Amino acid sequence: MDGSSSGIQEPFDLIRLSLSERVFVKLRGDREMTGILHAYDGHMNLILSDVEETIMIVNEGEQATVNVAKRKMDMLFVRGDGVILVSPPSRT
Amino acid sequence: MASQVLPLELIDKCIGSRIWVVMKSEREFTGTLLGFDDFVNMVLEDVTEYEMTPQGTKKTKLGQTLLNGNNICMLIPGSDGPES
Amino acid sequence: MDEYPPPPDDALDTQTPPPPPQPRTTHTGSPTDFLKGVVGKKVIVRLNSGVDYRGVLSCLDGYMNIALEATEEHVEGNVTNRYGDAFIRGNNVLYISAAEEI
Repeated sequence: MDGSSSGIQEPFDLIRLSLSERVFVKLRGDREMTGILHAYDGHMNLILSDVEETIMIVNEGEQATVNVAKRKMDMLFVRGDGVILVSPPSRT
Repeated sequence: MASQVLPLELIDKCIGSRIWVVMKSEREFTGTLLGFDDFVNMVLEDVTEYEMTPQGTKKTKLGQTLLNGNNICMLIPGSDGPES
Repeated sequence: MDEYPPPPDDALDTQTPPPPPQPRTTHTGSPTDFLKGVVGKKVIVRLNSGVDYRGVLSCLDGYMNIALEATEEHVEGNVTNRYGDAFIRGNNVLYISAAEEI
């Protein structure tokens, strides 16, 4: 399978090319975070550093509002089964 | 004597005809079956997706589609789905 | 998903003429054939959560892990994010649908 333009052969190449870069990660449970990618494996377990996590809290009601909570962590292990999407934000 | 017709042999006979796919969740698909594999991942053509919600059924038309077999519950050969 | 067929063995091919062209050259049929035909094309990837990702399919693997380019995230019909590249973990994928002729 030829990657159409960026020269990647398989999806994990995208992750490999993002090592040491700041990536955006979307997780189950409406969690999103960015951090520096240090390591990953075939389960998409991740090690991130300098992480900022964003948690969306939707308040149902007449006027639904979204509260955004942020928190920072120095070093983080993310279990792969919660991962929905990983994107290198430098190119967005 | 065990049954001689395997379930997937039956589905193989449906290639080229319309099929109704019911997912484990409140979601259904109809389409023309082009092929499938051992995981029952299915390639469909001229697809309609039905999402059943409390607000009603949302219909989406799709072209050639690879449907992940993971969440398929049942297959109804020859049927054109909930509207037929 | 099934494995992709091995590359043809050139050593065996020296004796035999090449096979006649297949009557159908379009990529239809098995999931593998569909995926071969759809790489490099615009696709809609729908997740089990109902979120859609629309982009150009770079590549995918046997787990249905997907790499997309020029990706738009759609939630209930609205664009909620754009990504230059996106890796989608295959267990979340409901379907991959061709958004242009293949």
